[in-house]
Amino acid sequence: MNFIFTDEQLQFKEAINSFLIDECSPKSIRDGWQAKKSFNSDRWHSLLKLGVLNSNLPEEDGGLGMDQVTLALMVEEMGYAGLPEPVAEQTFLVNDLLPFLPNKIRKEIEINYKAGAQYISVAHPLAPNPLFLNDSLGLLLFNEHECKFILKDNLDFEMISSNDPSRELYQINSINKSMSSSENFDVLNVAITSRGALMTAALLIGLAQKMIDLSSAYVVDRTQFGKPIGSFQAVKHMLADIAVAIEFAKPAVYRAAYSLSENNPKSALHCAHAKYMCSQAAELACKNSIQAHGAMGYTWEMDLHIYMRKAWSMMACWGNEDRQQDIIFKTLSSSNEELGVMYTF
Amino acid sequence: MKINFTKEENSFRQEVRSWLEENVPRKPLLSLDTQEGFEQHREWERTLNKGNWSMVTWPQEYGGRGLDLIQWLIFEEEYYRAEAPTRVNQNGVFLLGPTLMEFGTHEQKSKFLNAMAKGDHIWAQGWSEPGAGSDMAAIRTTAVLEGDHYKINGQKTWSSRATYADWTFGLFRTDLKSERHRGLSFILVPLDLPGITVRPIPQLDGEPGFAEIYFDDVEVLVDNLLGEDGEGWKIAMATAGFERGLMLRSPARFQQTAAKLLELYLEKQDHCSPMIQTKIVEAWAQSESYALSIYHTASKMLAGYSIGSESSLGKIFWSELDHMMHQTALKILGASAELSNESQDDAAKWIKGFMFSYAGPIYAGTNEIQKNIIAERLLGLPR
Repeated sequence: MNFIFTDEQLQFKEAINSFLIDECSPKSIRDGWQAKKSFNSDRWHSLLKLGVLNSNLPEEDGGLGMDQVTLALMVEEMGYAGLPEPVAEQTFLVNDLLPFLPNKIRKEIEINYKAGAQYISVAHPLAPNPLFLNDSLGLLLFNEHECKFILKDNLDFEMISSNDPSRELYQINSINKSMSSSENFDVLNVAITSRGALMTAALLIGLAQKMIDLSSAYVVDRTQFGKPIGSFQAVKHMLADIAVAIEFAKPAVYRAAYSLSENNPKSALHCAHAKYMCSQAAELACKNSIQAHGAMGYTWEMDLHIYMRKAWSMMACWGNEDRQQDIIFKTLSSSNEELGVMYTF
Repeated sequence: MKINFTKEENSFRQEVRSWLEENVPRKPLLSLDTQEGFEQHREWERTLNKGNWSMVTWPQEYGGRGLDLIQWLIFEEEYYRAEAPTRVNQNGVFLLGPTLMEFGTHEQKSKFLNAMAKGDHIWAQGWSEPGAGSDMAAIRTTAVLEGDHYKINGQKTWSSRATYADWTFGLFRTDLKSERHRGLSFILVPLDLPGITVRPIPQLDGEPGFAEIYFDDVEVLVDNLLGEDGEGWKIAMATAGFERGLMLRSPARFQQTAAKLLELYLEKQDHCSPMIQTKIVEAWAQSESYALSIYHTASKMLAGYSIGSESSLGKIFWSELDHMMHQTALKILGASAELSNESQDDAAKWIKGFMFSYAGPIYAGTNEIQKNIIAERLLGLPR
């Protein structure tokens, strides 16, 4: 038992963190909003050049063969920066899913797809509106019983708006020609929903951390009654509550990631646990952060809402807290074995 | 990162399990807050010691096994799984023990740790005073150095286990001109010395789980000073860190409660609201997270990191979780939630645990104090 990150894992986390500090500032995100083009191609190509976009592909396919824990640590940083490009929810998800895809779909994708240089959008009942579909190669579409791959030219779609201007969403109107398969669908569907839950959980942890950092800085700076408002216990305790929630959500993310890497039969439960804990932490972070900012927190000018909006979307997509709760409850009530002192690992 | 148990860890678990299966008393012991129950629990400490299980992380020469924190967590998991008796000496083994290990002289370690392991010294805490609760630096009980002993005068209160314990440890003001956290010393005091009066305080459950201790010209040998004279605050903070951090409430305790709660729900689900399901999930998810976090912390400590104010995060989390779980159990039990005869009613242990869960957010530093610590030391907010 050694529940600690390796130096290499931490180096990846730090590397992406410093890249994003330079390349994904709140100003650059707002510039994207202003230009109605949140997808920043320069940033995307830098991420490609750094190897980030292919990091979870096997080495023989030009990737880094990165494990899920390292990936989760990097995704946490992407959440922290509020990165608009859909690296976690689309690129990493698709890279990871390739081995699970039905043969003919996988082949079709492999013929056309150069990971990173192009990307594939994803739509699933839990995240039905694909991101940045306009510039994608095509769409991997899941419904209740099968999976389809559709090249972009065979799709009729239109842009719809998200409450988070960083997210360019699309709606599919019709499909002209697609390739579908229900081969091995149940396994595939668990694989994608678990990974979707984990990716959004990791993003939420980063977002919650950003919100508490912004709030801590704000309450030190803002004075009322002649003192920084951060010296008042009522304010301190709101922020401390967020810190507690984050602290106990984080290890659930790392355990879920590890379970996926190890093909642990309980990985779906562990991913549900991670998303459940992270959604709660992020929700509290939103609520208490805006409160700590007072009226300033309710303005467009303050950067807080850049991260809050993304958090609201990430809580809703890939299974919200209630859905994860159902998954957990079903597992718990079907067998007592899952619960208790010896089944943590 | 490798979060599976090794072969050695698994076989250690097996060893603990078989020993506990053979040795845990079949019949539950009487409450440790009664004279008879206290002695039964002392006897259990002796049994543990015979198996070398008093505190597995201590070096062998002090009655331990020289094992690491992960093995301690495994031991705890098996301990709760086996429903073994509450550790009457938890103030000693989990709080004073690690403090002695860090600040004690060789003689002190050898004397106190061995006696603790054997169950010969059962320890009470001596922190709070009538005027020094959350504000512990307001301590006024004095210990004046006179030759080879300190002369102690004053009063401690809320002293857990003091009614029947053998020794107490706590902070005393050794520099009479000092103020606040300066001039305090950490002293170990036998409770049978002349001049000591212990007045039990019945708790919410009616039993004397804590007590007041009055000191009237009590003479304690200087050998019982831990660390340097005047360094008491620093040492006490370390003890408080252990208490809140890792040792006092191992995750197994809450995972076991969550498991029992699920069992109770499945048994009674036809008679209670389906809304309870959300609480069952919360209980599992949070106790699981607490366990993960503690394994993470233990791994970090093994790699040489030390834990500081982070321990405050855990104390808030487990105490709120414990209360929520007991509250949920009472909801499931409906009208039978008030039944209180433990030998007759299964429900009774829940109401007892429920009452005790109100103490969690108070003892070891109230959760409000913990939140101040988190805000000031982890988030950098001004005092």
